[in-house]
Amino acid sequence: MEVANQECMDSEDFTLGKTVICRETQIKTLLALFGQRCHMTPGSIFVYGHTGTGKSLVIQSMMRHYKLPHIFINCVECSSLRFLVEEILNNLPLQDVSNSEVDADADDMNPDNENFVRCEDLTDFVRTLKSLVSDNELGKETLYIVLDKAERLRSTNPVLLPALLRLQELSGLNICTILISEIVWEKFRTGTGFCEPYCLNFPDYTRNELMEIMVLDCPATCEPELYSLYVNMVLSVFHMVCRDLRELRHIARLNFDYFIDPVKTEECAPSNTRKLWKNVEPHLKKALKSVYLREVSSRQWELMQQAELADGDASQAVVALPRAHVELPFYSKFLLIAAYLASYNPLKCDRRFFAKYSGKKSRRMAKLLKKNERASNHLLGPKTFPIDRMMAIFYSIIDGKVVPSAHIYVQISSLVSLHLLSQVGGDDKISAPKYKCLVTLDFIRNIARTVQFDIMRYLYDFL
Amino acid sequence: MFEISLRYKVDSDSESACSNSEAESDEETDDSDDSPKRGVQRRRLKNQKASRTLKGTPRAPRNTPRSTPNIPSRHDPRPSPASHLEEARSRLHVSAVPESLPCRENEFSDIFGFVESKIVDGTGGCMYISGVPGTGKTATVKEVIRVLEAERDEGNLNAFKFVEVNGMRVTEPRQAYVEILKALTGVKATADHAANMLDNMFTHPAPRSDPVVLLVDELDLLWTRKQDVMYNIFDWPTKQKAKLIVLAVANTMDLPERMMIKRVASRLGLTRMTFQPYTFRQLEQIVASRLKGLKVFDGDAVQLAARKVAAVSGDARRALDICRKATEIAEEKTSDSKMVTMMDINSAVEQMFCSPKIMAIRNLSVQEQMFLRAVVAEFQRAGIEEAQFSKLYDQHQILCRFEGIHSPTMTEVAALCYRLGSIRLLLVEPGHLDLSMRVRLNVSQDDIMYALRPEGSSDL
Repeated sequence: MEVANQECMDSEDFTLGKTVICRETQIKTLLALFGQRCHMTPGSIFVYGHTGTGKSLVIQSMMRHYKLPHIFINCVECSSLRFLVEEILNNLPLQDVSNSEVDADADDMNPDNENFVRCEDLTDFVRTLKSLVSDNELGKETLYIVLDKAERLRSTNPVLLPALLRLQELSGLNICTILISEIVWEKFRTGTGFCEPYCLNFPDYTRNELMEIMVLDCPATCEPELYSLYVNMVLSVFHMVCRDLRELRHIARLNFDYFIDPVKTEECAPSNTRKLWKNVEPHLKKALKSVYLREVSSRQWELMQQAELADGDASQAVVALPRAHVELPFYSKFLLIAAYLASYNPLKCDRRFFAKYSGKKSRRMAKLLKKNERASNHLLGPKTFPIDRMMAIFYSIIDGKVVPSAHIYVQISSLVSLHLLSQVGGDDKISAPKYKCLVTLDFIRNIARTVQFDIMRYLYDFL
Repeated sequence: MFEISLRYKVDSDSESACSNSEAESDEETDDSDDSPKRGVQRRRLKNQKASRTLKGTPRAPRNTPRSTPNIPSRHDPRPSPASHLEEARSRLHVSAVPESLPCRENEFSDIFGFVESKIVDGTGGCMYISGVPGTGKTATVKEVIRVLEAERDEGNLNAFKFVEVNGMRVTEPRQAYVEILKALTGVKATADHAANMLDNMFTHPAPRSDPVVLLVDELDLLWTRKQDVMYNIFDWPTKQKAKLIVLAVANTMDLPERMMIKRVASRLGLTRMTFQPYTFRQLEQIVASRLKGLKVFDGDAVQLAARKVAAVSGDARRALDICRKATEIAEEKTSDSKMVTMMDINSAVEQMFCSPKIMAIRNLSVQEQMFLRAVVAEFQRAGIEEAQFSKLYDQHQILCRFEGIHSPTMTEVAALCYRLGSIRLLLVEPGHLDLSMRVRLNVSQDDIMYALRPEGSSDL
């Protein structure tokens, strides 16, 4: 048998044909675990690390580079036991299929196909797997079943995960189950005990490693030195808040035009680092506030960038207003304000705010009242209130006479359906429903501004 | 609409002349179509069946046959016992039920009298038999039936049929109907149909039909929400013409009052019999009767086994098991006299009755024992029999520091906590709760302290 692994070991090249860099230790460990093709591997390997640390990439490119027989399955797609096991059985890299990989996918996934293997439960799965694999050349090599996003397996079926972990033992075949997840193994355990897998951690990339990887997608028009300078600038702004490789690459790609523009127009030389930094820094800072939070979409950002670069006048650029702006009817606005006041103000101070003759209250009393309170209501979150209280506040803050018609009450329920209010303990809709206000302070201030109502005067916390 | 049906006709006509493979493509449309001639239809049905079986073939031929569970058959005849001890062991086996049960003579005669009188009178009735496991309920009833069948074969008694239903053996309570019907008539039917047929059979029996003796074992498992199975079984004997005698066997004495609704309980009637647990004299007598003619046991040895069992449960099966175990222990001895002594019985009793938990705790690793100590310490500190994992981890760290041994990481502690959980020394919650997972003990605190006490103080 041709041993691809051995070849690679000799040349000491753990970059899998330069596709995966900065993961030498992990690849070495995995290769040592895999051994030669005919060797028995550990029954299950658990690979974990943060998002964007190259877990799936390393496993997938190892499988492809060494041409190992494998099945790669995303557990989010296979929502039930049956989907998962049928997916595995129908995508087995059988010998006759592996020669011509093209025809396999097209008709195999169609359940009406006569080759489609049906499987209902795990017993059937193990039996079918055994017969399918041992008939084939596949039985001579280790078969890898790779399950990405394996944390989903916990919730599907209580026996599925234990069975997959000891699939080697159950089927008596040379099978290795690789689980890829972002959470640690402790959170997979249940009270009944498992066959423990071999756990392998993928640590985060360091700043230098991030640099090294991000320089890889340098555009053809730009020298690598210049691009690495740019990457360094991006990282100096973003590394504090974000270590996610995917996100950083995305940001670097979006803002590259800002960086390269002065060089293109020959405003400054590529060697003038200081000027380049002065030029790109405000844009990166702005990107941190807008496009990184997805308040401005990448497309909008690109359009803004083009307009800005064309005009050469940064101040004219349109900044999209990202705040959620909801148009509501007039009374609905007041109802919402009333609900907000009812949710965040303590019951005992309603009289002070809303009654016409609240009575005199001495300064000392007010101070005492303030002292007794434990924490701001805005920190604790909204409280529930009965509808009567809300309507009382509503009538006291609205000018003029409002008839308590059906329209008003319909508006309350439509606010609930818009998720601006929520009904709490809604077992009895008729008698006395209780509500809670779900909007933020910014939102309600915007609403209050449109109806010229100074909400801050009425909020107990800000008095 | 008309056009479509016409097209069907054309299709079907051409199809009838065609081969199987073409019929397959038209399979779905066939179902809605009822106009063509009978012959054609029958032929096409046949085609469908053929195509369906073709379709179901899996990609790879299965060389492992679909396994259906079965009991392995015995190839060689059972070896005849070589020594006295082996002879004794085969006689002490639970499956070797003797011809007549000692110490159950009264119960035997009661049941016998009840069933016999009903058969002779040609009427129906119910009897409820209860008692803790291992008191010989089923064996006694079976013996009654055996004697009655012998009587019938000799011609001293009217003909009758015997039917047995075990609640444990039916997959679902309503399957009991199917079992009964199959035993009576040999007809297979669905549960509903079987219930109807049985109802008919018992309300309007044929004039010369034989009485039926129905033994319902493990009655409590036939419980359903509406209790219709129990109700029917006890209702049939009350019918005017039914000659059905029901012997219901269950473990608890108050089952009719506790589980059955009043309607069912009243039909069950008051003919009840309770099998008391065996006293030690009775157990001694049972063992002695089985070992008649063999001299392998000390008299005191049997008495010890009987007294030990009678003190706990009075289960005859348990007593026989202990005696069998003791013969095995005696066989391993090297001494010349192959007699079962009190020492053998004593060690057999210890092996069967002692708790494995203390042994398990003693054989745990150092860190696992330390974790159990941490659990006990935390319980004593907080005064509650439940603790969060984070608190236990802190206690574990402190204990390790006191003892001067390496204190493990959180991951390691979590792993050993789950190991203890999987062998049921602890009761743990699923792992996604992490630090707020609550842990309880499945052993008493005293057991842990007793098992973990230092070796030197074991004499105290």
